[in-house]
Parts: sequence; C-alpha cells; structure tokens
Amino acid sequence: MTQGSRLCFAVAVLMCAFVSINGVGLNDLLERASQLSDKLHSLSTSLTNDLDSHFPPVGRVMMPRPSMCHTSSLQVPNDKDQALKVPEDELLSLARSLLLAWSDPLALLSSEASSLAHPERNTIDSKTKELQENINSLGAGLEHVFNKMDSTSDNLSSLPFYTNSLGQDKTSRLVNFHFLLSCFRRDSHKIDSFLKVLRCRAAKKRPEMC
Amino acid sequence: TMRNSGAMLILTFIAILILQAAGVSPPGKPRLTSCRSPEKETFTCWWEPGGDGGLPTTYALYYHLENSETVYECPDYRTAGENSCFFNKNDTSLWVNYNITVVASNALGKNISDPVEVDVVYIVQPNTPEHVTAVVVHDEQGPFVRVSWEKPRTADTRSGWITLLYQLRVKQEKDKEWEEYNAGMQKYYNVFSLHPDKEYMVQVRCKPDHGFWSEWTQTTYVKMPDYITRERSLWIMITIFFVFIVVILTWTLNVKRNSVKLCLLPAVPGPKIKGFDKQLLKSGKSEEVFNTLVIQGFPPTTDYDNLLVEYLEVFDNEEQELVLDGKDLSEDCMKSKSPSDIDSGRGSCDSHTLLLEKCMDGREGSGSNQHQYSQHGETRWASTESSESQGPEPGSPDSANGRGKTWPVVFSSPQPQPHHHYPVGAAKPAYHSVPEILNHLSPHAMSSNYHQLNHQDILQQERRFSKPACRHSQSYNQFNLDGIDTSAPGVAPSPSLEYVEVQRVNPENMLLLRPLSDPNREPEGSDCTREDYSKVKEVTSNNILLLQRDMSHQCVDDYSQADQCTTQQPPHPCKPAVHQSNSGMPQEAIRVMGNGYVDSTVLMPSY
Repeated sequence: MTQGSRLCFAVAVLMCAFVSINGVGLNDLLERASQLSDKLHSLSTSLTNDLDSHFPPVGRVMMPRPSMCHTSSLQVPNDKDQALKVPEDELLSLARSLLLAWSDPLALLSSEASSLAHPERNTIDSKTKELQENINSLGAGLEHVFNKMDSTSDNLSSLPFYTNSLGQDKTSRLVNFHFLLSCFRRDSHKIDSFLKVLRCRAAKKRPEMC
Repeated sequence: TMRNSGAMLILTFIAILILQAAGVSPPGKPRLTSCRSPEKETFTCWWEPGGDGGLPTTYALYYHLENSETVYECPDYRTAGENSCFFNKNDTSLWVNYNITVVASNALGKNISDPVEVDVVYIVQPNTPEHVTAVVVHDEQGPFVRVSWEKPRTADTRSGWITLLYQLRVKQEKDKEWEEYNAGMQKYYNVFSLHPDKEYMVQVRCKPDHGFWSEWTQTTYVKMPDYITRERSLWIMITIFFVFIVVILTWTLNVKRNSVKLCLLPAVPGPKIKGFDKQLLKSGKSEEVFNTLVIQGFPPTTDYDNLLVEYLEVFDNEEQELVLDGKDLSEDCMKSKSPSDIDSGRGSCDSHTLLLEKCMDGREGSGSNQHQYSQHGETRWASTESSESQGPEPGSPDSANGRGKTWPVVFSSPQPQPHHHYPVGAAKPAYHSVPEILNHLSPHAMSSNYHQLNHQDILQQERRFSKPACRHSQSYNQFNLDGIDTSAPGVAPSPSLEYVEVQRVNPENMLLLRPLSDPNREPEGSDCTREDYSKVKEVTSNNILLLQRDMSHQCVDDYSQADQCTTQQPPHPCKPAVHQSNSGMPQEAIRVMGNGYVDSTVLMPSY
C-alpha cells in the first residue's frame, strides 16, 4: 500500500468511527428507539395473552388494582392535548424514567417466569427474557438520544420497586406476575407513545413519516 | 285493615298475573358489546338490550375510573346512535381503566349489565382511509396501477400521536380471492402484473401500531388498457422466426427429397442368388423358385477321387513317428470325437448309420480306384488282392506316386472318408493304413505285406480286432516300419472291418494292435471302448503328453515311459505317455480344448 492509499484508509476509518458515534442523526436515533419501544409493547401484549389463556377466574378477583402499580405515582399526560404540550426533553425524561423503573421488576419477573404454575411457562419465560434485553437496548438508545438532545437537566424520576418476591403460594405468585405484567404493558405503551411523538417532532424534514 | 291488606295483596297478585299474561316484564339484562376509539382521543361504547319486557325501557350507562369511586353517567347517548355512549375528549382519559355498566330500566324494574373494564389505548380502531384513487401509469416496462389514498380524517398522524399502517387489496370482479398488499406507512402503492384489458376492484384499510384494523374502503374501479406486453411480443417474434425456419427447412427437404431419401434410407441390396428368379418369387410359387436353386450335379460325384485323394501325402520319416504315436489314435479319436471338430471334412458317408451303398454308388463309376466296401467288408480284401494285379490300387504307392498321393486303405468302413477328416492343407493324417505305409516304404514290402493280408490271416487275426468304439478311428496293423519284416505275422486286416487300436509299441518299433472287440482284452475293454480317447493330463518337459485315463491298471502299458506312470499309478493309472520326437512335432503349444481333449490338429505337422 502506497502512502497515499494508507492516508485515505486512515481517514476513512476515522470518519467511520466519528459517524458511528455522532454521525447518526437524532431522527435515526429516535426512529430506532421507536422501533424498540414498539417491539417492547408488542411483546408485553403477547405475554399478557399467553397468561390470560389459562388464568384462574379467582385470580381476576384477587388482582390488585392498577393504581397499585409502582409507577402510578409518575405524572404523565393522559390525553393528546396534554401530551403534545409537553416539551421534548420532558417527554424523553418521562420515557426514560419509566424505562428505568422497570429494569428491576423485569429481573424479578424473569427469575419467576420459569417456576410459574402455568402451562405456557416456557414461552412466558423466553419472552420475559427477551423483554429484559429489549429494555436494556432501549435504555442505552435513549441515553444516546438524551445526549444528542443536549438537555440542560437530567430530571429522571425515581420509581423504586421494593418488592422482591411475587408471593408464597403459586396462585398468588401467578396473580402477582399477571398484575406486574399488566402494569408493564401500560407503561410500555406510554413509552412507545411518547417516543413516537418525539420522533415526529424531530422529523420535520420528512413529513411523509408523520 | 287485615282485610284491606289481604285484598291488596290479592289484587297485586292478580295484577301481576294479568300483566304477565299480557307479556310485560322487567327489562332483560343489557350487554355491552364493544367500545372503540378511532383516534385515541375519544371513544364510544355500544350495548345491546336484553329485551324490554314489553314495556318502554330506558338505558343508562354508568362508569367510574379505576382510581376513584365517583360514578359518572354517559355524557352523550346520541352522537354515536342507538344504544351507544360517546365519550368526548374531555371525558376521555388514557392509560386509565374505565369501569362501565349499562342499566336497563322500565316500569317494572331495571336490569344491570356486567361491568366491563376498558383502557382506551387498547381499543383503538381508526376510520377507513379516504379518497382512494387508482390510476393507470404507462411505463416503458408496461402499464401499472398506482393506488393512492389519504389518511382517515380523524387520525392525527402528523404529530405522531397515532401511527397508521395501510393495506390494500385488488381483484377482478370474477375472482374469488383478493390479492393483498401491505403499504406500510406510505399512502400510495404501485400494483404490477395486472392483466390487460381487465377491470379491477381496489380497497384500502388501515391499522394503528397497536390496535384494530379499520373497515375496508368502498371499492374503487380501475381498468387496465389493452396492451401487448413486451414479453409477449418477443414470443410472437420468436414464434414467427421459427415458423419461417421450419418452412425453409421443409421446402429444402422437399427439393432435395431424393438425396435425403438416399441418405436416410440406404438401398437394401436385393437378393442376388444365381438362378434365383425374383419374378418367380413374386408369382408365389415357391417350389419353382427353389427348384431353380437346385444345381444338378451337386454334390459332385465325379472327380471324387481327385478330391479325396488330394490330402494324402505319404512321407517316409514322419509317418513312422506318426504311426508309432499311439497318441495319434487318441488324437484321431479325440479329434473325431471332439465337439469342435464337428464338420471338418466329414461327409455323409462317415456316418456310421448310413449305408455304405450310398457312398459306394457315387463312386462306382469313377474307375478302378473305387473299392467296394461293405459295412463289414469281408470280401474287400479279397477284391483288393484280386485287383492288386490289375494295376495300381488306390492307395498303392503307384497310384500314390502317380498322383503323388495315396489312398489309405483302411479296415474300417468308409475308407475314402478319412479325407474328410483332414482340413485342406492341414495336418497330415496321422494314421495310415498298413498297406499304404508298407507300400510307401518298399515296394516289395508292400506286396509282401499285402500278401500277408490274406484270408487266412484275416480270419486268424479276426479275433484280434474288435469293433471300433471310435468309429472313425483307423485300425492299425502291427507292422515293422524299419524294415518290413515279412515274417511278421502281421495283422491281417480283418475282413470284418473291425476296429483295432494300438495296444503298444514294442521296442522294435512295432505297433501292437489289438482289436477293440477283442475278448482277450482286459476287462477294461468296456471302459476302453467308452474311452478310446483320452484326456491330456499334463505335458511334461520332454514334450510328452501325459494322458489321463480313469481306468484300472490295465491301461497302463509298459511303454518305455511307463515308469512315469507307475509312479503315478493308483488312483490315476494313466495311459502311457505319448512318444513324440522332438524334430517331428511342432513345438507348438498344445491346444487343450475345453473338455480336456487335446486338439491334435495343432500338433500335426503341416505338410
């Protein structure tokens, strides 16, 4: 290799590295994040359906109310008008907060999935693991988005999850599993909605997408 | 009072009965059928009445949110139609469960439906897409249809609040199944591979990212123009081209019809048989046809002698060895019996079953060379003797000298036939009659030996001959080759024409013959008769054939080489080895035929 070609090669490598770190535009980042959040919600919906297929009727009675979800304290916009008024960084922080709030509970769900008293236990187990992976990816992606957006403050809400066990008997474990999953399903929908709003807000150059 | 209350009860009871007879009752239980939100901003719930009980019934929908106990009634019963409740934007909250019930009430009572939990974000079903258009676009590749539409009016996709995915389907009027295409988030789609000059129906629908499919739009019709695809025009051109080629080829073939015929169907040569008349064949009389093939005078009966005498050449030296070789007998036997030597030189007269008269007749008129032989030929020798003074007998050296050939006079029946044994120009006959040999050796010996062949001797020696088992074998007389010993009693040829075989050769080079039917023969005679040919067991280094014979020790003769055999005696007593002079016999490989017999033709020295 001649000196000139070596130089070209080095420049190309540097440019690639640069682009890979910073070259991805916000649009693409948000697009990727939206895709991940979409997948996240779809997985949770499918898990819920799997659980519902063999759910004891008594469980529905026992089910805690949704207001008992550990993320219910987080104030989110609950209609479109409110949501569209929220600034992007706040929307982002909401999404990130919710996402962060679920990393521990999902770990618990993942560990409990294999011992559930449910015929679809194996499918549930694999899907739960997949959920965990997706959350980690999305969290990392949203970090990039956050860094990209240059927000002044990082006001992430803390939503602690103190429960470390789903229950003692298998029925209550199953019911609690179902309850946790339903809380997550809702929160994943919130995340997805917020990110898609963000995506369209950032994609002013591509109106055909939004 | 008591009477009043009792009367009241009775009256009420009667009234109920009357009412029931009239068919009225409290309302049936209503049921919430579905709730839907078209844009994630409002939603509507529908119920179905359970039966009004015959009386006018009113329905009321009540709901409360998950985290409060406050019960609200439906704000709008009209907008969405009959038995519906419309929740406008203000009343719609997302990510919150609504607990909804419907109460039906009439004059007689009310009925409450089962509660239903609803989260608005999970019940999104958009309206149908709008303004669906399908236009034909003419492209160089061919025309296609571009379908385009717009989002449903109510859906706010611009802000990203709702994300819609579109789907369209196409079919002809007559088709049963629709062809579906997914258009993603775009609002147009190009449909290819539509048939020309056909009318198609197009419909579009949409779905939110997490929700239900909308209804299909109204059908949009589009008609494809009548065009010929490029592909089809290409095929048409190819077809025309090939048809043209085929026409050219056919015309060429037709013009060159004859030479093609000659090439493909070469002329079959007609039969060219001399004397064969094709016309006769066509006429259908096969006898006439084949009669013409019969050549008169075939087989040639004249010149018989010339033909037959052809192959006999008597020579001095070799004949001794040849005659001495007992192998010759076996060879002869073998040869005559070899399956591969079926027809070599053998004529019909060779057949044992054929009457000799037939053979004799042919030769009657051929001259003095003919001998009269009967099958047993008793008188033959007599005639021979008598005719010996008449001139050269066939087989006499004179005749031999005259012609250079001799006629073998043999004791067995068809004498001339031996010629047939010998292929033309091939091996010299290995056996000769005694007279012949004697003639050749010395004229005087000849005559003297001939004289030996007199009746008495014949009769005396008769017993010494046996019937030939090998009918083509020649019988040998014991004679002295070196110097004809006239005193040798010789073995008179048996007038009975019995076969003899060489028993052995004594040290004085005398062949000891014995008749094959000799009763003095060893009991193995039967065996021997069965096997007057022998199989070659091996060839020793001295070019000596060791013959094999599964017989008793009798067959073991005391030839000079008998010691070899004795060593090999039981279980294989073998016939004495064949003497073979080195000079005489060709050093060729012995050809052993499949059945174990030696093909002596190879071993015959060619003259």
